[in-house]
Amino acid sequence: MSGRRTGQVLLMLAGLIAWAVQFTVIYGVTSTLCGREWADVTLLGVGIVHAVVALATLAALIVAALSFLGSWRIHGGLGETAAAPDRFISQAGILISGLSLVVILWQGIPAFILPACA
Amino acid sequence: MNAPERSEAFDERDPALPNPLPRPAGEFEALKKAWEAPRGLSFITAVNNTYVGLWYVGTAFLFFILAGILSLIMRVQLATPESDFVGHDLYNQLFTMHGTVMMFLFAVPAVEAASVYLLPNMQAARDLPFPRLSAYAFWAYFVGGLVFFCTIFFGLAPNGGWFMYPPLTGAKYSPADNADWWLLGIGFIEISAIAGAIEIIVGVMKTRAVGMSLDKMPVYSWAMLVFAAMIVIGFPAIILGTLLLEMERAFDWPFFIAERGGDPLLWQHLFWFFGHPEVYIIFLPATGMVSMIVPAMAQTPLVGYRLVVLALVATGFLSFGLWVHHMFATGLPKMSLSFFSAASTAVAVPSGIQVFAWIATIASGRMKLTTPSLFIIGFLFIFTLGGLTGVMVAMAPFDWQAHDSYFVVAHLHYVLIGGMVFPLFAAFYYWVPVASKYALSERVGRWVFGLMFVGVNVTFLPMHITGLIGMPRRVYTYPVGMGWDALNLVSTIGSFMIAAGVALFIVDFARRFRIARDENAGNVWNASTLEWLPNANYNTRSIPIVASRDPLWDQPKLSQDVQDGRYYLPGTATGGRETLVTSPFDARPQYILQVPGPGWQPLLAALFTAAFFLLLTVKMVLLSATCGVLAVFCVIWWLWETDPGPVRPPADIGGGIAVPVYATGSMNHSWWAMIVLMVVTGMVFTCLIFSYLFLWLVNPAAWPPQGTLLPEGFSPFVSCTLYVVGAALIAYASRTLRGEDRRSPRAVPVLIAAALLCVGGAAAMDLWAHWRTGLSPSAHAYGAAVYAIVSLQIFFVLTTLIMGLYTIARWLAGRLDSVRRTTFDNMMLFWFYTTGQGLVALAVVYGFPRLTGGV
Ligand code: HEM
Ligand SMILES: [Cu+2]
Repeated sequence: MSGRRTGQVLLMLAGLIAWAVQFTVIYGVTSTLCGREWADVTLLGVGIVHAVVALATLAALIVAALSFLGSWRIHGGLGETAAAPDRFISQAGILISGLSLVVILWQGIPAFILPACA
Repeated sequence: MNAPERSEAFDERDPALPNPLPRPAGEFEALKKAWEAPRGLSFITAVNNTYVGLWYVGTAFLFFILAGILSLIMRVQLATPESDFVGHDLYNQLFTMHGTVMMFLFAVPAVEAASVYLLPNMQAARDLPFPRLSAYAFWAYFVGGLVFFCTIFFGLAPNGGWFMYPPLTGAKYSPADNADWWLLGIGFIEISAIAGAIEIIVGVMKTRAVGMSLDKMPVYSWAMLVFAAMIVIGFPAIILGTLLLEMERAFDWPFFIAERGGDPLLWQHLFWFFGHPEVYIIFLPATGMVSMIVPAMAQTPLVGYRLVVLALVATGFLSFGLWVHHMFATGLPKMSLSFFSAASTAVAVPSGIQVFAWIATIASGRMKLTTPSLFIIGFLFIFTLGGLTGVMVAMAPFDWQAHDSYFVVAHLHYVLIGGMVFPLFAAFYYWVPVASKYALSERVGRWVFGLMFVGVNVTFLPMHITGLIGMPRRVYTYPVGMGWDALNLVSTIGSFMIAAGVALFIVDFARRFRIARDENAGNVWNASTLEWLPNANYNTRSIPIVASRDPLWDQPKLSQDVQDGRYYLPGTATGGRETLVTSPFDARPQYILQVPGPGWQPLLAALFTAAFFLLLTVKMVLLSATCGVLAVFCVIWWLWETDPGPVRPPADIGGGIAVPVYATGSMNHSWWAMIVLMVVTGMVFTCLIFSYLFLWLVNPAAWPPQGTLLPEGFSPFVSCTLYVVGAALIAYASRTLRGEDRRSPRAVPVLIAAALLCVGGAAAMDLWAHWRTGLSPSAHAYGAAVYAIVSLQIFFVLTTLIMGLYTIARWLAGRLDSVRRTTFDNMMLFWFYTTGQGLVALAVVYGFPRLTGGV
């Protein structure tokens, strides 16, 4: 498998990978901090748990947005003669990162409603 | 390697066909001869996907019937209050076995089996890339599964529920062997599922029809690709879980025993990290089938191909973020629970997308109401209902009400029967004409459908109410006057209607199904994909070029030309079995894979592996170990015949394209398999590290517990150095083993031997260092976790040892040189993996407690 193709697939899946990382971080950090009663620390006046969830969500959103834009640009730049797999992968990339944006946002919402460790 | 550069726009008119007519005399006969099935008793040594696939599907269906019979017994028991048809102990075994057999011996194997049969046909490959691996997976499952099932006749069957929660299943509350049957039996069958998954991934990526680029792959191939990837990620968690629980039971290592620092919740995490994706692992292949059947029935291409692919991939990811929704009642922090609630609702979106794609396809064509169509409509109805109750229990507060009640039983059967059993029956009716001389009866099919559809609703709809008015699941009886009597009786009547439907199906099947060797029933549905090309044991006569997703509709002369041998590789280039390997994205011809034929090795290897595990269950350790050694020998004997090397110069497959008959490096199919295997082992290790961290989290101020000595820094330093030196020696050996001139330098075996001493020394040093501090694996979960990591690493080092010695043996036998070096490459990959894992293990075991300072 050539390097170009590997890159294409990574870009296509970047949104979902970002979600997976976000999920692992927010779940892992909440469990660890609450499990050890370390959740009282604050970061710029915000509880550490909420801060981590917000940051992880933001970071994941940025990655998904970049992958969306990247796929969009590649797709736009494909000429009439482009190979069908290229067209397909960039379209799939647009769809996947679009969905990921929604899912990542949705995933972060609990932090805006619920207390940290109750 | 000279892959042709032209990719797109294969001209489908005659002048562009790769091979001219008439075909040379004897070409077709040679092809047929190469693929002939063994006769007489040695018929069971067949490894071809046509045979193994059918046996595999048949066995899975057998388990469906067996587990179904168990459920009927339960329903008879529950039909009336205070019944004493079966006692409580047998009832416990019944529901455990029913759930376990349905999930592990029917659902997953059935969809995997169907793909062993279907994938090569659909992609116009002659076989899967590793037919002997499929044969091994099948026999291991067949023998292991049947023995496992038989435990029910001896009162030895597991009785802790299909998810086997400790402490109930720990040594204290389940001292008898019943739980061990589950742990060793199912743990072992998972390994067979993983073998199948590796086969599927490589098969989908590397053996497709020429021109079948990613965007033209059948949806079914996509579904199976995601399915296999999910197995690779998800199953290691349960394998590790069973391993830990078995070690706890056998050696008293307290991973799940709270008094000694363990935690039963760890099991729930490991189980459900596998268990929830499992539901989608079963469901996705079924949707893949539906996406093939719907267009054929509606006679129009699938609407929203890209969206369906998106849905499959997204489901594959998101389903790993749901597992804690089975643990809503365990008292975890609310915010953690909401993360899983959020993901649980998000995963409904891709399922919805698929449903809309099917409905749009049905609407844009004219759906014929055949039996497959009926089952699909039934699927949509039942599954949607199950999905609705699923969204209900995904809300934590509702789940606290419904948890462990018959509401959950109703929900899970709606999802599983709707989402998997109905599509599977649709698939039986739809694809039988490919495998058999006659199609199944449409008239009888309507009755089968009617009985099953009504039966399922009569059985499970009332259970929603039974559950909401308070009946708990897993009770063997209930008193009169709870208001549950009538509802239960109705459920029982319904279950016998389902049974009648299934029985009718079996009768029809027995009357009509006759294995087709040459002449199958043909394209009875006028479907559009390649499995409907004329086929036989060798699959298609020549390997077509496809230019669209519906080649049979868009290339009207395709069947005839394929059958005449006008496409690629119409004969055999090496005189043996072979299939064409194509590039993973664009599906351009890359090389000819020499496919192994029938042999006793996979069968014997599977028998001995099964014996190893099953004898271990009944604690016949010596006999078990002997079988284990024999199994390893059979595997080596089997591998010895692989990696044939370039037995001839590149062969002309037609159209002026010459491809080699051997390839090494990242183009090689076994390289891919090795990479996937490393993902599996990497996941097992990751789950183990997760377990270590989890146990740390639940043991404040006791990690390590008071009074534990940590080994000093010297020994990890030595181990670390030895690992690195070993890997460097192997890398150096790889460099010496280069060149086009087929050299086999003397240095290679010497370097391997030296490197073996290094890794062996590293692992031994590590074990000794812990032993010397007096750390006990059974005093506290800390010691158990440390020794678990050390033992896993030792297992990998031993495997590396066997592989290294095997590679040296290949060199000595003159089967390894600078061109024929796949064996070496695979060993090297595994070696690097073992090294990496060893280094991480050292870092965690020595570094982590120092880093956290025992907090
Ligand atoms: C064909 C008709 C079926 C009937 C009549 C049926 C009936 C039952 C019954 C009576 C129980 C026990 C409920 C309890 O006591 O808690 C049960 C449990 C279960 N069934 Fe089925 N079942 C059927 C099909 C299936 C299928 C196709 C699957 C999976 C593919 C399945 C998976 C399960 C599971 C996982 C459990 C839970 C076992 C446990 O509690 O450990 N069933 N079923
Ligand atoms: Cu679930």
